Amino acid sequence: MIGFKNAINKLAIPCFINDASQVEQLIYTPECKGNLSVYLHKTEVKQAKKVGILANISTLRSLIQLTSENQLNDIEKTVITINAQDEVVVFENMEKLEEYVQANFPEYTEEDKKLLEQLNNMTREQRWQYWTEQFSACIKCYACRAVCPMCYCSSCTVECNQPQWIKVSSETTGNLEWLTMRAMHLAGRCINCGECGRICPVGIPVHLLTAQMNLDIEKEFGAKTGFSCKSGYALNTFKPEDKEQFIQ
Amino acid sequence: MSEQFEPKIVAFVCNWCTYAGADLAGTSRTKYATNVSIIRFPCTGRIDFMLLMKAFENGADGIIVSGCHPNDCHYTSGNFHARRRWMVFRSLLDFMGFDTERITFSWVSASEGSKWASLVDETTEKIREMGPFTDFNKLDYSTFEKISNDTITE
Repeated sequence: MIGFKNAINKLAIPCFINDASQVEQLIYTPECKGNLSVYLHKTEVKQAKKVGILANISTLRSLIQLTSENQLNDIEKTVITINAQDEVVVFENMEKLEEYVQANFPEYTEEDKKLLEQLNNMTREQRWQYWTEQFSACIKCYACRAVCPMCYCSSCTVECNQPQWIKVSSETTGNLEWLTMRAMHLAGRCINCGECGRICPVGIPVHLLTAQMNLDIEKEFGAKTGFSCKSGYALNTFKPEDKEQFIQ
Repeated sequence: MSEQFEPKIVAFVCNWCTYAGADLAGTSRTKYATNVSIIRFPCTGRIDFMLLMKAFENGADGIIVSGCHPNDCHYTSGNFHARRRWMVFRSLLDFMGFDTERITFSWVSASEGSKWASLVDETTEKIREMGPFTDFNKLDYSTFEKISNDTITE
């Protein structure tokens, strides 16, 4: 069973229990923001075959998105959440889970909305200035990748050195390439849990890149991520009537 | 005495339409700007965004990306997929403040030799006015400066 437990400073950290006697450890507070579905890709969890997961709304959304990408087929999982009325909800199947998520679909946080609006009101040069300053701090720890439930590839482009797509050292152009690549590979798949921005040790709001992409994709192609198990991937499909203004 | 700036332009084109179109421009002896280096791809669907980033990193001042018109793709749907990807990539670059004017997207078919010639001429002219692409160099230089300053203070 994967859930949360108390840590110092009233923080909630992930907790793994495999015995009923340990169930006392589990908590569920507003501090439980982490996205636990990332652990479902770990070999140890996959080997367990039967997994329980105490999910918050972003974890539920990732479960839907991962199911639509056929990533959870070989895991027998029991999903539990606690709704706004403090009741325990156990989902019998994915359809029930879908209904719950669609009824409680989360919006962007006020903070993110404000930052996105600020950035979109800037001139292009100001945005470039803002992002390059942010990117120059990146230390390439790849924590944003480690924490992301959608980054489940067993080999990543950053580790590819024949050819070397992304420079290994931490320098701004390489950082820019890495974060561009990350944003592109997650565009239309990211479920806006914001974990990457929260986890970043140097405080780059990386989650805003994918958040903005999701807004654009929803506007252009009408696709929502983590909304339906059958929605698929917006960049893996097309409509002949897709409209754009820039191709000459 | 100042010489005119000659931009380096890299064109990512698909084998079946634009490459054949450029070939037609050549065989019909159409004169156009020599600033362009053509890279041939099996299909526009193969043109990864990382290749565009790498071209800029390696000194390109402008990029042309071109393929078959919609519904003309040799592989039926490669250009439709590519179109979606370019739409997303372009808005990501714009959101990051990268100058998207430096990348020209176009559809050029195998019979449009003259369109290809004018596309290259126009793009060359546009990039010439914009000047060399220095954004990445400046970033590298600022990293270098930061490191050397840190070393000095230590």
